[in-house]
Amino acid sequence: MAYQKIVKKIPVEKRDKLSDKLLNFVLKSKKEGEMPSGLANTILSKWQRGPLTTEEGLAALLEAAVLLESEKTMEFLEQELQLAAVAKAIKEAE
Amino acid sequence: MVKFGIEFVPQEAYWKTIYYAIQAEKRGFDNLWITDHYNNRNVYVTLTAAAIYTKKIVLGPGVTNPYLINPVMTAQSIASLDELAPGRVVLGIGAGDKTTLAATGVEMRKPLTAVVETIEIFRRMMERKRVTFEGQVFKAVGTKFNFKPKGQIPIYVGAQGPKMLETAGKIGDGVLINASHPKDVDYAVDRVKKGVSEAGKKLTDVDVTAYASFSVHKQEEKAAKAAVPVAAFIVAGSPNVILERHDVDLKEADKIRAALKAGDFGQAFGSVSPEMIEAFSVCGTPDLCIEKINRLLKAGISQFVVGSPIGPNVRKSIDLISETIIPHFKK
Repeated sequence: MAYQKIVKKIPVEKRDKLSDKLLNFVLKSKKEGEMPSGLANTILSKWQRGPLTTEEGLAALLEAAVLLESEKTMEFLEQELQLAAVAKAIKEAE
Repeated sequence: MVKFGIEFVPQEAYWKTIYYAIQAEKRGFDNLWITDHYNNRNVYVTLTAAAIYTKKIVLGPGVTNPYLINPVMTAQSIASLDELAPGRVVLGIGAGDKTTLAATGVEMRKPLTAVVETIEIFRRMMERKRVTFEGQVFKAVGTKFNFKPKGQIPIYVGAQGPKMLETAGKIGDGVLINASHPKDVDYAVDRVKKGVSEAGKKLTDVDVTAYASFSVHKQEEKAAKAAVPVAAFIVAGSPNVILERHDVDLKEADKIRAALKAGDFGQAFGSVSPEMIEAFSVCGTPDLCIEKINRLLKAGISQFVVGSPIGPNVRKSIDLISETIIPHFKK
């Protein structure tokens, strides 16, 4: 739920780039065992229905990326996308 | 029109493989093949998940073997999967891999006979007959399902040696040729043709499939680098007759075998030459890959399977194949 609120703060024009990067983090993560199967199934369901750039898809992907590759995700949000407010909201939600 | 298949080795978490399976379906692949080795995730669990999350891609084990999974249980698994994904399930069956089987203490006894008997038992089980079968390798004693299998399942035979290739042509609905180079595919298709003609069929009755190690990237060097580990394992596992067909120095091949056995991957991968990559993979930029696939089409294949490693970044490579390679052949 928290992530669904958080993604609303992400400007639409930055969502494609964010989704692409988060997918790389998640799919290349060596910490795959830390992915809860419920969250994995949610991502697969959203992906089956459409691109993971929708608010719901992005929320699930962001949650997974923070779980698996927290440092890289935060760095990307803050430095590449200049979304410090989003990074802050994630830290507060954790 | 040529079909495009994609192979995944379920060595990573199920959700990664299924993510790519969904992507492959969205990007226009026709077939999804999941490998079956005891040391990876279970093939049928992976296929079940893939069946749930996809709608039209044809899927099946590529390939399972009759030694670790009894033919009756293969029939049961495939029939159950076919309930979940009616009309889009196929069976890929081969003799298995000697090294992997040895690790489980299972002997690869009479591989050709084992595959032939498996297909016989499988087909009869799928017809919901009570099967009594006394083979040289397998037996069935009044074996029958309590449920009615939905349909006829196309059987693809994984083959490399001449006898298995002929048998695949003779009794298979498809053949999975483990090869990437026209020299090997030419040889294999000739053997398949022999089997096909002995059975009074046409080559077009059989889905002749090149199951290739594949790597694509916009930069040729990056594609080649990703292909190195797979090429090393193929060289190590290939009989000398195949290595000689490609002028691979047998001493170099021995060096790779020894290094892999010792777990020295740096040494093994470092010994892989560009010629080995060329012989044992379809690899390069999209244009180069198109050229190489074209040569395999001329040899007579009707399906091209994009196998491991697919590329340095699997997700990006699937997109690249979909944007550049598949449209070239399906326009």
